[in-house]
Amino acid sequence: MIGLTLVIVLPALAALVGLAAIDGIEIALVSVGGAAITFVATLIVAVPRFGTAGPVGGSWGHAWGTLNAPDVSFALRADSLSAALLLLAASVALLVQIYSVAYLADDPRYRAYASIVSLFSASMAAVVVADDMFVLLIGWEMMGVCSYLLIAHYWERSDARDGAAKAFLMTRTADVGLLIAIIVLGQAVGSYRISDVLDAVAAGDLSGSTITVTALLILLAAIGKSAQFPLHTWLPDAMPGPAPISALIHSATMVAAGVYLVARMEPLFLASETATIVLGLTAVITMLIAAAFALAQDDLKRVLAWSTVSQLAYMFAALSVGSVVAAIGHLLAHGAFKALLFLAAGSVAHAVGSTAFADMGGLRRPMTWTFATATIGFAALSGLVPLSGFFTKDAVVGAAYDAASGGGEGPAPSWLAWLIVVATLFTAVLTVAYATRAWRLVFSGERRGSETAHEVPALMRWPMVVLAVPTALMGLAVVRPGWLAGSEAEPVHSWVAVTSTAILAGVVAMTWLLGRAGDPATRLGPIRPVLAREFGVDAAYNRFIVAPTLAASGLVLATDRDVVDAYARGASSGAIDASRLLRLAQSRNVQTYVTVAVLGIALAAVVAGVTA
Amino acid sequence: MSVVEVLFWLLSCLALGSAVLVVTTDHLVHAALWLVVTLGALAGCYLLLTAEFVAWVQVLIYVGAVVVLLLFALMLTRAPTAPDAATTTRNQPVAILAGVATTAVLGVVLVDGFRGAEIDVDGAPSGAADSIGDAIFRHWVLAFEVVSVVLLAALVGAIVLSRRDAAELSGTYGPGAQHVPDKSPEGDG
Amino acid sequence: MPLLWPLLLSAALFGVGVYGVLARRNAVLALMGVELMLNAANLNLVAFDVWFRDVLVSGQVFTLFIIALAAAEIGLGLAIVLRLFRAYGHVDVDRVGGDPS
Repeated sequence: MIGLTLVIVLPALAALVGLAAIDGIEIALVSVGGAAITFVATLIVAVPRFGTAGPVGGSWGHAWGTLNAPDVSFALRADSLSAALLLLAASVALLVQIYSVAYLADDPRYRAYASIVSLFSASMAAVVVADDMFVLLIGWEMMGVCSYLLIAHYWERSDARDGAAKAFLMTRTADVGLLIAIIVLGQAVGSYRISDVLDAVAAGDLSGSTITVTALLILLAAIGKSAQFPLHTWLPDAMPGPAPISALIHSATMVAAGVYLVARMEPLFLASETATIVLGLTAVITMLIAAAFALAQDDLKRVLAWSTVSQLAYMFAALSVGSVVAAIGHLLAHGAFKALLFLAAGSVAHAVGSTAFADMGGLRRPMTWTFATATIGFAALSGLVPLSGFFTKDAVVGAAYDAASGGGEGPAPSWLAWLIVVATLFTAVLTVAYATRAWRLVFSGERRGSETAHEVPALMRWPMVVLAVPTALMGLAVVRPGWLAGSEAEPVHSWVAVTSTAILAGVVAMTWLLGRAGDPATRLGPIRPVLAREFGVDAAYNRFIVAPTLAASGLVLATDRDVVDAYARGASSGAIDASRLLRLAQSRNVQTYVTVAVLGIALAAVVAGVTA
Repeated sequence: MSVVEVLFWLLSCLALGSAVLVVTTDHLVHAALWLVVTLGALAGCYLLLTAEFVAWVQVLIYVGAVVVLLLFALMLTRAPTAPDAATTTRNQPVAILAGVATTAVLGVVLVDGFRGAEIDVDGAPSGAADSIGDAIFRHWVLAFEVVSVVLLAALVGAIVLSRRDAAELSGTYGPGAQHVPDKSPEGDG
Repeated sequence: MPLLWPLLLSAALFGVGVYGVLARRNAVLALMGVELMLNAANLNLVAFDVWFRDVLVSGQVFTLFIIALAAAEIGLGLAIVLRLFRAYGHVDVDRVGGDPS
């Protein structure tokens, strides 16, 4: 319990202390040091919990307050699921802090950045080890705030400001689902503890409609946080943030929190067929369209962003067929190789000054380390054997196949499972295509752009190298039995392995051939602009949601100004007009005064005469 | 109607007519002269009412001194002898109303109170000099002395007010100077 | 003669005097209106005194005092008008005192 609390408190403390640091060296010391100490604490807390069966942890019975009946308390628990994510978050955070020392060396806002990243680590830890749903909610919202602040780090750029606002608004809107679900569950179960909720589901205490409704609401929050369809448009627009932030928040940890939430509440989903179907369909749609969009982008980071969305959909698909192991395995592998790829993108941007493909090309010679690590990353993304991506993607496809052919857990209907199998295979084709295209456009061919490229400093190189190791080797660990509580060894379906390798080889060859003349995406022809516009979803949001909201707010403003304020102004202008009238009595003309006096006396005389 | 009444009628028409001319004429000097006629007619009315002493004092002081003073004032303020175009203010309609209202109120009160009363003008004159003098110096002597002090005060005040001080005489301001200030006295009213 | 005749004459003269004070633009002419009003009051007093046959002849004595005071008053009033003329260069009652019309 102490350890769990420390894992949350230490980074928060580092954030606070970091605000008092004066120059870059102090900031680096506090941030990297804090991340390192947190990493050590996480190791101490997490490693013993791998492979344990049930939740281990305690809670402070201290009730924070009573909301109606159930108590809210600071309750923490950790099982192997939490341990896995804690380790992922802490290690990537440490590597990102080291990387940032060099990446943001000249940045005047480095201090705020480092503190917010530490605060983010604390929030992520809070989400992952929370047993009380309100602790989870607090961490969830804090992550959203840190994400907003960090995306808008370069707030002079309007696309950074707009992207931050968009991300915050879309995720925040979806979080309403989580809040309502928490309240409903708390009322239905009588407690806000996750462990109590899961026990109630297992015991069959909750009605079917309650389960379905809360599961769908939690799904809504996860869709928002993990950028799935239809709330998928904020993630690529969050790319104007610094590359280490994209690595930490928008690939490895925060967007993975949606997956974690669904995985944690998996019994709830498995108990409701409706929720499972919705989850599966969302995942299928998202993985296909996101991979298609990635094929048509002109910016390296946007390609990686759409790739993230697509890979997250893989994890949700695995969860919809009931395989938490496959989902979390892919989450860990994806966290490693996507963080690596984003850091590499940051290095390339550091070298050539922009993230557009038009400024890259031919960077293999000048940037050898980046080339080597990025190649490993792209290969893992494509699922090249024996890298981690191969094993975890196969696990997802295999779990879907098992569910389809009747051998899996969960109430996913077989049509959904078959759909997932087909979709994952098709997405794999698209994934290999866009990965190969990106790799080619960045590293081979002629050098476009004007800046001379150089390799990045050591502090930026070594985190990439460190990440390349789990990217390459994690697959072997994931295959071992029991690494996640209660899992058996995932059988490697041989047909899946053969199919995916064949796909890989074929698509790589095709992309290479198509791309000999230049950008392979040009071969898409007229489809390309449609994909680049991302099916106009954003434009639709703008027209049907944003514009009416702005119009309504304009109406409210106008009402306040012209109706409510009119009374306030009317009071003052009424007073002024009345005073103007009164002022006429002070005409400074003596004859006027005497006239009024004479008339008044005559009137008084008449009145006196009449009434006497 | 007796002779006195006829004469009184004539004199009152004269007085009223010339009073109207005083307040409506465009020639400023003519207004002063019509005032002489009015005051003279009133003196005649006093005589008909057997107030002899008052009548002669009226002629002496009012017609003799006051009108001359008014003419001097018109001269000193450079009143034009030609007809002045703007002799009435914007106030005119309201002023007519005020005048008519005043007359009406007073008239109604007087008619209501003294309808049918008669003055006996055939008896001994009540305003002969000896009876007035007797009354003043026997019963009203204190008021008489006070009036003379008031006259002294008015004399001194008029001298003080119309004195030119050194700054004026050197020509820094006043109508004799080059620049005639046309400013409001103390701030805004 | 009926008492009413001098009384009504004085009321009429008073009304004319009021008009003169209120409607005349030149300050001296306004003072003439004041003189008319004073004379109206005098006529009123004399008429009442003669009708009443007062032993103390107070009405006519009061009239004499009014005449003396009117003389004093017009002397001072015209001295003020003179000062006004020296300050403004004119004696237009509408233009003195800052009235823009």
